[in-house]
Amino acid sequence: MPLSRSLLRVARRITSDAAAAEDLVQETLLRAWRGFEQFETGTNARAWLFRIMFNAFYAQGRKRRSGPVLVSLEHAELELEPTAQPLSGWTDAVSVSRALNGLSEEHKTVLMLGVVEGFKCREMAEILSLPIGTVMSRLSRARQALRERLQVPDSRPEGSRAGAACAEREAS
Amino acid sequence: MNCGEIARQAPLYISGELDARQAAEFDAHLRTCAECMRELERQARIDARLCEVVLAEEGDTARIDRRVRELIAAKAAGQPLPQMRPRFRGWAAAALAIAAAAIVLAGVGYRTLVRQPVAPVHAAAARDHELEVVEHQRRPWLTDPGQIATLAEQQGIARSAVTALASGGYRLSRGKLCFLDHRIFLHLVYTDGVREFSVYLRTRDSKPLPVTAREISNGKPLCTSDLDGEHVASIETPQLTAVVVTNESSDAALKLARFASAVL
Repeated sequence: MPLSRSLLRVARRITSDAAAAEDLVQETLLRAWRGFEQFETGTNARAWLFRIMFNAFYAQGRKRRSGPVLVSLEHAELELEPTAQPLSGWTDAVSVSRALNGLSEEHKTVLMLGVVEGFKCREMAEILSLPIGTVMSRLSRARQALRERLQVPDSRPEGSRAGAACAEREAS
Repeated sequence: MNCGEIARQAPLYISGELDARQAAEFDAHLRTCAECMRELERQARIDARLCEVVLAEEGDTARIDRRVRELIAAKAAGQPLPQMRPRFRGWAAAALAIAAAAIVLAGVGYRTLVRQPVAPVHAAAARDHELEVVEHQRRPWLTDPGQIATLAEQQGIARSAVTALASGGYRLSRGKLCFLDHRIFLHLVYTDGVREFSVYLRTRDSKPLPVTAREISNGKPLCTSDLDGEHVASIETPQLTAVVVTNESSDAALKLARFASAVL
């Protein structure tokens, strides 16, 4: 299936559960098949598929919030950890993976879409139905949060780091 | 632009979404502000490492693909869509894992077990090439030769090396930083319009690559590895490590590495 690997990669991170991620990708592909006539030829098919996935994810989230939580996050983290042996320093795969898993859903989402999947800010804004300024500031803060978890220092002065927060205020 | 504006615009700069005027202003600030430049380089390293770690955790989509095809076929045949797959119970998942392990060992795994050990940097380069060049995973590439040469220079690599590696009708297509085996490399892609090959460059480590040299080419040790679909060859000069990856053939990788040994 086209793009199912990319979809699964992001789904695993945002759901923090392997089985839920598979269900989400399956649901996404079925929704895409059902709604294919709504896809405009020549537009970005990849962004369209991811928008379907996030719509499905948010819809599931509403159901989840109104029902019991069935997923053990502790178990999920074990499933997502890479098999590589831990090494010292922030570049160690286990540290990076744990740091990513420990971020908020919003931060994981923009890092996965923007950094790992290579979507542009404008595309992320379309996928997540957010203003571009919000995407930019969220991505900056997600990068900052990841660095803090990895204990990589930020050498910029405080004033310039606050720029991200200003952008979000302007956008909203 | 001041440092605050640089921080605000950085996501658009990294993803290549600034227009030409804004990008030029951004570059001008970076040339005069060592702190912002250092910060951007550090961020590029973290982004590259994050990519590498997540992409190494590939999930298996065969089961999803099969299930979706079944559901679509059922719908197309006029049958009602069956219920979604129930969550696996623990014992069922364990049984599946054992069956999957047996299949893997009987097939691809056996080849992996018996073949010669591959240097981690060769394996990482092959995987990176497969994802980013063969499968065209979208990445924020630089395509302007001048910007790529500047990026090379920032990594301690001579600007001339970037153009010197284009040979036999190939031209530089794009470049960016990436992480291979815990080290930052400059990833360059060359194309002849149809085919593409990758060259990964970094300034030389104190210790040589843990691979036995196949030959000495122009006085430089040349090592090769053949992985599934990717052919890797590397050379080490006193200043640089260069890893070439192509899908063409092991001969093609060898020729490209020999050429690199002549020009680097």
